[in-house]
Amino acid sequence: MRRYETTYILRPNLGESLFTEIIERTNDIIKNDGGAIINLERWGSKKLAYEIKKETLGYYIYFDYAAPGTTIHEMERIFRIDDRVLRFLTVKLEDAIDQDTIEKETELAAATSAAESEADVTEAAEENIKDEK
Amino acid sequence: MPPRKRIFRPRVCRFCTEKDLTIDYKDAKTLKYLVTERGKIIPRRISGTCAKHQRQVTEAIKRSRHLALLPYTGQTQF
Repeated sequence: MRRYETTYILRPNLGESLFTEIIERTNDIIKNDGGAIINLERWGSKKLAYEIKKETLGYYIYFDYAAPGTTIHEMERIFRIDDRVLRFLTVKLEDAIDQDTIEKETELAAATSAAESEADVTEAAEENIKDEK
Repeated sequence: MPPRKRIFRPRVCRFCTEKDLTIDYKDAKTLKYLVTERGKIIPRRISGTCAKHQRQVTEAIKRSRHLALLPYTGQTQF
């Protein structure tokens, strides 16, 4: 088992239910091969720095997981076939990861994402105040 | 020949002095300062980054270009 992180970009006009469906499907590929998801972040719709397949916006999804190397081949093969996926990038983070670390990291990620969403709310509130000024 | 005007450039690497600054391809905000308006990677002799960190910077910039977080060529339209 190795630790990887993948970011992929979906077409923005698919709608929330299709986003969730694609995310679920990708996660299932990893889980079925004995992998585990550590963290999943939806960055949401962002402006692309350049057009990809005539799209100027993209829906970004980032996830951090542990999986055997063969799973990556399978996942990327599916990404290549699926034309709803504009781009993907997988980066290896660690060569080996054991069960304990997976559990620890999952908890840590859940805690930080909760804290971050709170921080985002306060930050957004602060920005609103600035805008009003 | 008159002496060439010296342009100010930082002597020390930003990533060595500020330990909490990380080089990450997902963080386009930080990487934006390491590319020119045209989207080129700023050379080490200008930015003052050390060799070790410059290697990490180029790798990160290339990755974020692939993910369309940074442009391959500048945003300016011609």
